[in-house]
Amino acid sequence: MAQAEVAPELGEEPLVSRGTSFGEITDIVSRVTERRAPRGWRILFALSATFTAILGITIGILVWTGIGIWGNNSPVGWAWDITNFVWWIGIGHAGTLISAVLYLFRQYWRTAINRFAEAMTIFAVICALMFPTIHTGRPWFIYYSLPIPNSMNVWPNFKSPLLWDVFAVSTYFTVSLIFWYVGLIPDFATLRDRSSRRIRRTIYGFLALGWRGSHRHWNNYERAYLILAALSTPLVLSVHSVVSFDFATSVEPGWHTTIFPPYFVAGAVFSGFAMVMTLLLIARAVYGLHDLVRLRHLELMNKIILTTGTLVGYAYAMEFFIAWYSGNPYERFAFLNRAFGPYAWAYWTMIACNVISPQLFWFRRLRRSISVMFVVSIIVNIGMWFERFVIIVTSLHRDYLPSAWGMFSPTLFDILTFAGSLGLFFTAFLLFLRWIPMIAIAEVKMVVPEADPHHPGGHPLSAGGARGSD
Amino acid sequence: MSKRLPTSTPVDGRPPLWRSLGEKRDPAKRDREAVAEPAVQVPERSVLGRRRFMAISGATAAAIGLSGCMRRPEEHILPYSRAPEYVLPGIPLHYATTVHHRGEPVGLLVETHGARPTKIEGNPDHPASGGRTDAQLQALTEELYDPDRPATPLRGDERASWADFDAWWREKAAELEARGGQGLAVLAQPLDSPAMRRAREALQRRFPQARYHLWSPVPYTNARQGARLAFGQPLAVQIDFGAAQRVLALDCDFLGLEPGAIRNQRRWATQRRLLGPRDEVGRLYAVEGTLSVTGLNADHRLRLAPSRVEDYLRALATRLSRAEGVTLPDSVTAALGEPEISDVPPSWLDGAAEDLVAHRGRSAVCVGWSQPPRVHALAYALNVALGNVGRAVRFVASPADEPSSQVEDLRALTTAMREGEVDTLFILGGNPVYDAPSDLDFRGALEHVPTALHLSLLRDETSLPCEWFLPRAHPLESWGLHRGPDGTLSIQQPLIAPLRGGRSDQELLARIGGVRAWRGYDLVRAALQERLGAEGFERRWRQSLHRGVVDAPTPPLPSLPALREADLASALGEARRARPEGWEVAFIPSYQVFDGRFANLPWLVEMPDPVTKLVWDNAAYVSPASARELGMDFDEDEPSTPRLIELSREGATSLTLPVYVLPGQADHVITLPLGWGRRHVSRLGHDVGFDVYPFRTSDALSFATGVQVRTVAGEYPLVVTQSHHSMEGRPLAIDATLAEYRETPAFAQWRNPTPHVGPLWTQVNYSTPRPPAEGGTSYDLTPDPRPPAPDAPARYKWGFVVDLSTCTGCSACVVACQAENNVPTVGKRQVALGREMHWMRVDRYYQGEETEPRVLVQPVACQHCEEAPCENVCPVNATVHSPEGLNDMAYNRCIGTRYCMNNCPYKVRRFNFLDWHGDLHPLEKMKFNPNVTVRMRGVMEKCTYCVQRIQRGRIQARAERRVLDTGEVIERRIRDGEVVPSCAQACPSEAIVFGDLNDVGSDVHRMAHLDRQYELLASIGTQPRTTYLGRIWNPNPEMV
Repeated sequence: MAQAEVAPELGEEPLVSRGTSFGEITDIVSRVTERRAPRGWRILFALSATFTAILGITIGILVWTGIGIWGNNSPVGWAWDITNFVWWIGIGHAGTLISAVLYLFRQYWRTAINRFAEAMTIFAVICALMFPTIHTGRPWFIYYSLPIPNSMNVWPNFKSPLLWDVFAVSTYFTVSLIFWYVGLIPDFATLRDRSSRRIRRTIYGFLALGWRGSHRHWNNYERAYLILAALSTPLVLSVHSVVSFDFATSVEPGWHTTIFPPYFVAGAVFSGFAMVMTLLLIARAVYGLHDLVRLRHLELMNKIILTTGTLVGYAYAMEFFIAWYSGNPYERFAFLNRAFGPYAWAYWTMIACNVISPQLFWFRRLRRSISVMFVVSIIVNIGMWFERFVIIVTSLHRDYLPSAWGMFSPTLFDILTFAGSLGLFFTAFLLFLRWIPMIAIAEVKMVVPEADPHHPGGHPLSAGGARGSD
Repeated sequence: MSKRLPTSTPVDGRPPLWRSLGEKRDPAKRDREAVAEPAVQVPERSVLGRRRFMAISGATAAAIGLSGCMRRPEEHILPYSRAPEYVLPGIPLHYATTVHHRGEPVGLLVETHGARPTKIEGNPDHPASGGRTDAQLQALTEELYDPDRPATPLRGDERASWADFDAWWREKAAELEARGGQGLAVLAQPLDSPAMRRAREALQRRFPQARYHLWSPVPYTNARQGARLAFGQPLAVQIDFGAAQRVLALDCDFLGLEPGAIRNQRRWATQRRLLGPRDEVGRLYAVEGTLSVTGLNADHRLRLAPSRVEDYLRALATRLSRAEGVTLPDSVTAALGEPEISDVPPSWLDGAAEDLVAHRGRSAVCVGWSQPPRVHALAYALNVALGNVGRAVRFVASPADEPSSQVEDLRALTTAMREGEVDTLFILGGNPVYDAPSDLDFRGALEHVPTALHLSLLRDETSLPCEWFLPRAHPLESWGLHRGPDGTLSIQQPLIAPLRGGRSDQELLARIGGVRAWRGYDLVRAALQERLGAEGFERRWRQSLHRGVVDAPTPPLPSLPALREADLASALGEARRARPEGWEVAFIPSYQVFDGRFANLPWLVEMPDPVTKLVWDNAAYVSPASARELGMDFDEDEPSTPRLIELSREGATSLTLPVYVLPGQADHVITLPLGWGRRHVSRLGHDVGFDVYPFRTSDALSFATGVQVRTVAGEYPLVVTQSHHSMEGRPLAIDATLAEYRETPAFAQWRNPTPHVGPLWTQVNYSTPRPPAEGGTSYDLTPDPRPPAPDAPARYKWGFVVDLSTCTGCSACVVACQAENNVPTVGKRQVALGREMHWMRVDRYYQGEETEPRVLVQPVACQHCEEAPCENVCPVNATVHSPEGLNDMAYNRCIGTRYCMNNCPYKVRRFNFLDWHGDLHPLEKMKFNPNVTVRMRGVMEKCTYCVQRIQRGRIQARAERRVLDTGEVIERRIRDGEVVPSCAQACPSEAIVFGDLNDVGSDVHRMAHLDRQYELLASIGTQPRTTYLGRIWNPNPEMV
C-alpha cells in the first residue's frame, strides 16, 4: 500500500493509524477469531462462566422457593431486581445510539466501536430481559403478559407500563439483533473466505448468507443498513422512555415525574458509553487494536460521557427544584429523604459517581488518559446502578403513610443474582470476542484515507474493493 | 363384572377354548397347573382379590368420608338461626355457644362448614358480646385446630387411653374414698358455672375431705374484695360506659384487658359516636402507668406509677369531699391523709373533680384489677357519693364459691402440698407451674405430690412434672353452662366432637366425683333443669340452645348495703404510707397472649400489640426519660431499641430482657407483659418473648416497688410492624377537639380536602346499568351517559366507613380478618423484613410530647379506590374493578410483578414472598374458610371487603326474589346490614360500618355523609370507597 501523506481534514486525526492497509485491518480483526484464544481470555471466560452457573443455580432456587429469598418486602416491592433491569437496559442503550444515530449523523468515528457496542447491547438486553421475568412471583406464568389469544378472552392490560415495557424492550431487542446481524454479514463473509477448515467455512458461510461482495449486494446492504438505522433511531429514545414510564406514570412521590423520559435516556446513553469504554479498553489492550481504536475515538466517547453526565446532573437538580416548586409535601419529603434519609449514602454515591467524576473530562489530558477514562467508566456504571437503586428503593421505602415505612437490605441471593447477570453478560461477550469480528472490518475500511476515491494513494476502485473480502 | 374366563373343558359340546397353542395342543395341562397351584398359593382368605380390594377400599373410603363429615357431637345441638332443612355443602351454619373469656362468659355464634367450626362471631343476644368479639376470641378456631394438642392421655411419657385412666381412677378412688378424700385436691379455673358447681358438689359429697382451689394468674378478685371492704359483701361492680358521661379510669384498661371489655367498648362507643356537632360526647380520664388501649383513647391521660394511683385517688377524694353535693363520710375523708402528689398537675385535682361533680349521677370512677382492694373500695365510696350507683354503676352478686383471694387460696394449696397433705392433685386447665407466683414455687411443691394429673389442651410446663396428662376438650368441643355477672345464663354447646378425645373440666370433675351421668351434656341439662324446673323444660332447652342465652328472668339486683365507713376508714388509714422511691415494675396481661394461654397461637403472637406494635415478643416498657437515665442511646425513630436490662428485687429471681421505649410511660416504671417466654408449648415454645413470671411474687401480683435496674451488655432484636410513629405533619389520622368540631364541623375536609375535579375520562356510573336488551350485561362497565331511568334497579356501591372517634385500636379486626380470609402468619424474621400479611392493619401515631403523647389509631385496609392506582399498572389484568366498585384480585391471573404494591399509596397490598402455609398438619387445614382461596406463593393479596360474604348475600337475595304471575321478576336487594365484613362484625366498638352507598337509608350512607368525613390521601385523586370520620377529643377546657 502506498504510504502517501494526506493532510488530515481540518486538523482531525485520522480514524485509523496511518499506513494501516486494508489487508492489515482484515488481519488484525480476523486473526482474533482464528488463533487460539489468549490466556487472558481463557481465565476471564472460566470466571464468567462460573458466575453464569451461579446465576443458573440462583434462579433455580428463586423459582423453587420464591421471591422471598431476596430482600424485597412491603413497602419495597421492587429493589435490586428492577434496579438491575433498568441498569442493564441503560447499558444496552449505547449500542443503538452508536450504530444508528451516529450513523445517520455520519459520525465516521463510530466504525471502530459500533460492533462492540451493538454486541454489548444485545447481551445487556438479554440480561435485562431476564430480570422482569424472574422477578415475578410466578415466572412460569410470564406468558400472561403477552397478548396471546385465548378461550377466556383475557388480554394483558394495555394500560400498564409494564406491558409497554414488554413491547418496547422486545422490539428493541429484535431490531438491535437484526441490525447487528446485518452489519455482520460482510464480515462473516470475510471470515468464511479466510477459513481453511471446512467446518469453519460452513458455519461462517451459513452466517454470511451467500455474500459475495457484488455491487448489488453492497447496494442492498447499504439500503438495509440505512433503513434499520432509521428504524432504530426512535427506539433509542423510546425504550428508555418507556422504561421510565414504569415510574413516571405511578403515583409514588419520587417516581411521578415528567422529567423521567429524557432523564432516563440521557442516563442510559451515559451508562452505555461508559460500559463500551470499559470493555473496549480491555479488548484494545488484550488484542492490540490500537491502530483501529485510536485515542481519538476514546476522546470523542469521553466527550459524550461528559455531556450526558452533565445532563443527568441537571436532571437531578431539576428534580429537586420541581419537588420544591410543586409545593407537594410528599414530593418534597421524598427528595429530602433521598438526600438526607437513611439511604443518603446511596444518593451521594450516585452524585459523586455520575455528576462529579465525569467532570474530569473537561481537561484534555485526563480525557485522553487511558487509566483515567477506564476508572471513570467503571465509576460511572457504579453510579448509574445507584441511580436506579436510589430512584426505586428510596422512593418506595418511605412514601405516603409513615406507618407503612420500611427499609430494604439485600440478601446474599440479591447479590448473587446481580453478580450472576454480570457473569452471563461477560460470558456472552467473551464468546463474541472469540468467534465474531469485534470490529466492523468493512466499515473501518471505509474510513481509511485510502478508501476515498480521491485519495492520491488510493485506487479509484479501491473504495468498492476495500469493503469486500480481499 | 362377572365375566370369567371359561375353563378349557368343553361345555355343551362346543369346541374347547384355548389361549395358547400349547394349551390347544394339551388342554389338560392347564387343569393340571390349576390343581398344582393352590399348593404354592397363600391361603385364599388373605388374598386380596380385585373384588375384595374394591369392597374394602370402598368401605374404607366411605368410612373415612363418614368419619370426616360426621364429626359432630353425639348429643343434639341446634343451629342459631336460618337452619336449612339439610346441611348443604357450602352453606355455613351458625351455632350459638358461650366461652369463658377473661373473667366472664361471652356468647358467641360460631360459623361451621360441614360441621367444622371455622369462624367466631359474637352472639348479638348475649349481653357480654352484643354480636361483637375481640382478637383473642377470634383465635379460638386456631386454638381448636392446634396440631400440638396431644390426642391421648399420657402417663409419664407413655401413651394411655381414657379407659386406662378410668381404670386407674377406679382403684385410686376406692383408696381415697376410704380416707374420705383426704389427700385429694383439685386446682381449677375460676368459673361461674352452675354445671361446674354441681360437679364440684358431687365431688365434695363423695370426698368430703377433698380440697378445692382456684387459680388464674390474672385474678379479678380485688374488685370483689373491695366491695367486701366497702359493703361487707363480695359484690361485683358493673359499669355501663354508655351511660357514664364522665369516666375516671384508674389503672383500669376497661377497653382492653379488664373483664367485659367487649361490652365496655360497645357501650363506650355509644357516647363517642357523633352524628353532628350538636351531639354530646363523653369524656374519659385515664390515670395509668403504661399506655393502654384505654389510655390511648382517653381525653386526658395522667401517667402515674401504679403504686401511686392510690395517692391520686386519695387526693381526688379529699378534693371531692369538699365539693357541694358530694357526701363522703367524714371518717373516710379523715383517713385519706395527705398523699404527696406534687408531680400531679393541679388541674387533675380541680378540673377533674369539678367535672365529676358537675356530672353527678352521670359519671363513673373505675379501678383496674391491679389495684389493691382498698382503692376499689374508695372508688365505690366515691361512686356512691357522686350518686352514680344505680345509674352507670351497678353492683351485682358475684359467684358464691369464689375465694376472696386466689393467691391466698393457691398459697394454701402449695403449703398443703409441701406438707404432704396432698397425694392426688387434679389440675383442671391452667398452667400453674408457669404462671404461679414465683415465691410459692408451685413446681417445687408439685415434687411433694405423689400423683398429679393435668387436664390441659397442650402438654405444657405443668403437664411435664405430672404423672398423668389428660387431654382437655377445647371450649368449642365442650358443653357448659355459664352465669354472667348480671345473672344471664348462657349455654356452651360443642361445635364438634372432641378432635383429640378430650374431656372438659366439669366432665373430669364429675367423673372423679362419681357422677354417673358425667357427660357435659347431662351435667348442663341437669344444672339447667334445676334452675328452670321440669315443666316445659324440653322446649325451653331447645330454645336456649338455639339462642345460646337461657330465656330466664335475670335475678334482681341485690340491694346495696350501706357503706361500711369504719372498715373503709381503717383500711385506708392503716395503709397510709410514704411515697415509694426508686424503680417499680408493673405486670400487665399481654394484649396478644393474655396470661400465656394463647402463646401457641401464631395469629395472636403475630398480632401487633395495639400499643407498642411489637410482635413475637414482649419487652420491658420504659419511658424515654427513664431510658436516658439508664444511659441508653436509643434511636428516636426506632423505639424497639434492642438493649437489655437486668431487673432484680428481693425475693424474686432476677430477670434480663430487652427494653422497649414507650412514650407516655410513667418514669421509673418498668412494665412487663405477662404470658410470653413459654418453654413447653411445642411449636412456639422457643425464643418467643421473655417469661416474666419468675419476677412476680405473691405479694406483688400487679406491681412491685423497690426494684433494681441495670443495663446489660448485649442486644436482642425486637420486631415491630410500625417503626415510624409520627405522621410527619401529614393529614392522615385527622382529629379535632369538640370545640374545634363545633366551630368547623368539616374540619377533616379543611385539613384534607377531597378534590372535586374528576379524571379526564368518563367514570363508571354505578347506578344505571344498561338493560340486557341493549346489550348490557350484569358486568357491563360501559358508562352510560343517560340519566338513570326512575325505575332502574340501582346497582350496589359498596362503601366502608371507619369512625376514628370510636375506634379504640384494640386490633380485633386484624385477627378477625385473618380468620375469615385465611391470612397466613409469617414468623418473626419475616415480619422483621416487612412481610407481614395482615390485610387489615391498625396504624398508630403519636402526636405532641413524648411524655404525654396524644395517640391516634387508624385501621387501614384496601381502600377500594374508584381510580385505583394498582389496577392501571398490573400488566396482566389481575386486579380489576368490579361493577360494584370493588377492587378485585384474581389470584389465578396474578403473576406477581408487585407493581400494584409499589403503586398503592396506602401500602395495603400483601405479597406471598414465600410459601407461607408450608406443609400443614391436617388439623390446621381445618381452620380454613372454604369460601376463600388459600393463596399460593408468588401472588398478591389484599382486603376484598369480604367479597365472599357479599356473594353469599347476593345469592340469598337472588334466591328470595319473587316471580309474579305475569312473569315479571321482582329482585330483592341485599338489605342494609345483611352483608358485614369480618372486621366490621368483630369490631367491639362498632367503629366500622359497611354497606351500599347507593342505598340512601343505609347506615353507611349516613356515616359517609357526616361532616367529619374525609378520604385518606384524597389529594392523589384515588377516590377511595373507604372513608374515615375524624377523631373528636373532648378535653376538659379547665385542663387544657
